[in-house]
Amino acid sequence: MTTNNKVKVAFFDFASCEGCQLTIVDALQTHLDLLDMVEIVQFREAMTEKGEDYVIAFVEGSCTRKCDEERLFKIREQAALVVALGACAHTGGVNALKNVQPSLQDVREYVYGDKADWYETYPTRPISAVIDVDAFIPGCPIDRGEFVKVVKNVLLGKTPGIPDYPICVECKLKENVCLLLEGQPCLGPVTRAGCGAICPTYGEGCEGCRGLIPHPNENAMKDVLDEAGLKLEEIMSRFTMYNAYQKEQIETVEERI
Amino acid sequence: MNLKVLDKRAIAPLVEALMDDYRVVGPQAKGSKFTFEAVTDPANLRFDYDTTILPPKKVLLPPQERLATFTLQEDLQVKTVLETEPTVLLGVHTCDLKAIQLLDEVFSKDFPDAQYLAQREQTILISLECLSPCDEHSFCKDMGTLTASEGSDIHLTEIDSAYIVDATTEAGEELLARYATVRDATEADMQKLNKELGAKWPKFNYQLDFETAKLPSMLEAAFEHPLWNDLGDRCLACGSCTNVCPTCYCFNVYDEVDMLLTKGTRSRNWDSCQLDEFARVAGGENFREARAARQRHRLMRKGKYIYEKFDELGCVGCGRCIRTCTAKISIVESFNTIHNGKK
Amino acid sequence: MEKSIYTPDMTRVIDIEELTSLEKLFTIKSPNGELGHEPGQFVMVSVLGVGEAPISISSSPSRSNGHFELCVRQVGNVTNALHAMQPGAKVGIRGPFGTGFPIEKMRGKDLLFAPGGLGLAPLRSLINQVVDERSSFGRVIILYGTKGPSDLLFRDELDEWVARDDIECLITVDRGDETWDGHVGVITTLFPEITINPRNTIAITCGPPIMYRFVLMELLGKGIPESQIYLSLERRMKCGVGKCGHCQIESLYCCQDGPVFNYAKIKGFEEAL
Repeated sequence: MTTNNKVKVAFFDFASCEGCQLTIVDALQTHLDLLDMVEIVQFREAMTEKGEDYVIAFVEGSCTRKCDEERLFKIREQAALVVALGACAHTGGVNALKNVQPSLQDVREYVYGDKADWYETYPTRPISAVIDVDAFIPGCPIDRGEFVKVVKNVLLGKTPGIPDYPICVECKLKENVCLLLEGQPCLGPVTRAGCGAICPTYGEGCEGCRGLIPHPNENAMKDVLDEAGLKLEEIMSRFTMYNAYQKEQIETVEERI
Repeated sequence: MNLKVLDKRAIAPLVEALMDDYRVVGPQAKGSKFTFEAVTDPANLRFDYDTTILPPKKVLLPPQERLATFTLQEDLQVKTVLETEPTVLLGVHTCDLKAIQLLDEVFSKDFPDAQYLAQREQTILISLECLSPCDEHSFCKDMGTLTASEGSDIHLTEIDSAYIVDATTEAGEELLARYATVRDATEADMQKLNKELGAKWPKFNYQLDFETAKLPSMLEAAFEHPLWNDLGDRCLACGSCTNVCPTCYCFNVYDEVDMLLTKGTRSRNWDSCQLDEFARVAGGENFREARAARQRHRLMRKGKYIYEKFDELGCVGCGRCIRTCTAKISIVESFNTIHNGKK
Repeated sequence: MEKSIYTPDMTRVIDIEELTSLEKLFTIKSPNGELGHEPGQFVMVSVLGVGEAPISISSSPSRSNGHFELCVRQVGNVTNALHAMQPGAKVGIRGPFGTGFPIEKMRGKDLLFAPGGLGLAPLRSLINQVVDERSSFGRVIILYGTKGPSDLLFRDELDEWVARDDIECLITVDRGDETWDGHVGVITTLFPEITINPRNTIAITCGPPIMYRFVLMELLGKGIPESQIYLSLERRMKCGVGKCGHCQIESLYCCQDGPVFNYAKIKGFEEAL
């Protein structure tokens, strides 16, 4: 087999649990033919070789330090396509929860104790807040089937094919008993589909890890959660778990530092 | 037509026998709700079900369905796919039966839809007379679907420990003769049947404040009604109302290819006019951008547009869209609001 | 093998001509002898593996000769894939579908064409048929507008139409450049330049959604009766045969009742324009 026709790809990680890359390592076991299409030249989690001639860069993790930006710029400069991999890179993910805390210094001390000053930090942002991103694969972690689909679509020159519709569509077609109608909180109506409604299917309300759909009716969602008996702070905490990042917040938090 | 009697104890053996030759699909419990599923054990069949999450249209128009396969090698070839399976669809309520009749019309008119019709021809429908309402959201009585004199191959009505069996088509008669143990209905059976049918009617309430014949003209005059903005504010645009609707049939078409990009399939899946992307063209223009306009489109389809095209209302009164809506949008309330606002 | 309305006929692209930076003209071999289309109809074009899109037919039936032409703007997955093709590539075709222009009603009448931008693509089919049967029509007026000179489609034909003394063809661009010494302004600024006999005129327009309202005001302002105005509308389509629901304009299906609509019929439809 020649490597000539294969598209060279690389994986990078920033602030994340690396669970999305683990999902890819997993996907490579079940979709061996992926490696007939692409050649991995850099993947710290899976191999020691390191090539810099990649065409597609998959970036996991959010940007949480000023010093990370330089690395992102370099990736952007090299890669023809940059794909944000997973919630942290796509929306800021749970890392962005620190943005809604009263003080970033407190957060730092809470995490690092008396070593807090050893660690640089700044408000969390998705990588699209730092560099242009061509595609994203949402989720915490990503869905491996969706990863394979996006790779295929990108290789075909198509748009990535991430759904723009909400989880409810997938959930309904699975004929799951609706959790909201049973009085359980669920963000399915405003969260981007593509995961196969995996959490509701197993009885857990959606936490919004795949980010919101375009034009979500957030007010109506809050009304529905209110109807389901959630307190305001519970509603807000569900909304901010994966979707705390707001551009405006960054600006105000940065001013506070 | 001679009515027959099928003892309830004879149902399981009948279904067992059918399962040798058919995929038998019928109502079964799923958590606190019911769904139409392929039967693996006749004991799981629940003829006492209220309603199902998805309507039985899913048997005839599957949520995902392959239309064609193709090769991407040098000489591109495309091949039609017709995936059918001989099926007995069991326990269909008369509202859903009416909806299937409408779908038959939609998919056979003008440009016949080979995929739908192929499965339809392979499907035997056994319907079930409703003797009490599913719940407070049913408005089948308003929509004239509380009973049916045609549309299925066999119609069942429960009388005590048995069902009165009415084979209304040749296929139904053949199925009975071949698989079922039935006896002729006696005078006593007929009296029981008439008693049940007479007793059921008052148990169902009218929910609409007007005659449904008025619906198309009433909606015609309501295009600018303030109701639509109210619905648009409340609607989550989740698409559940259309996915659970027995008469919604809109679909999307998409291609998928294998990993080596050598072959692929073209499929369709259910789509919804409530979703953001539904009416957006490649250039970016969205012709039904506002949720209010999308809700209006749904209700107009149910009460006016489908009627204008097929001479039948697009709503059968099953109430599924009301039950499924987390924002509590009700087609009954909406229609009544329009009617009462302009008496 | 069973026939399905959703299965395309495979055929080949004969020729590809770049018209602008965004638009190419594809000459395609008709799958079964002749396509047999009417001006204004469309086909569903498949790039297998990528998908299918509705594209209006740009060539006149009078010039078919076993092939037809599609003017395609690069704007989505399918059209991107088409633009990446070389002559000889295979595409799938379904159709022709939809209601075309009522050419029989137009015979003997003066015709006023008002295409904007890519709206010339479907109108060109009719214009060229009219040109080929020139004697059976009255005056032929073409008012064409695009954003800039580099967006003008079919420049050779435009030159030909302008040069002919039996066609009145006026062209404008929203913004000119150093290459442009013609008319500058939106399409509606061309209307004062012409005088017509409204009772004997049939107007045909197609363009971006925003254009219709303004062009209609001009046409109605000239006194052309509503029933003598035809529009070709664009909608999302997945089936082309009145099933999938995407193209609905209230109770109408753009793919069957249109894409060509009579203004008197469509004007009561809020969702149309």
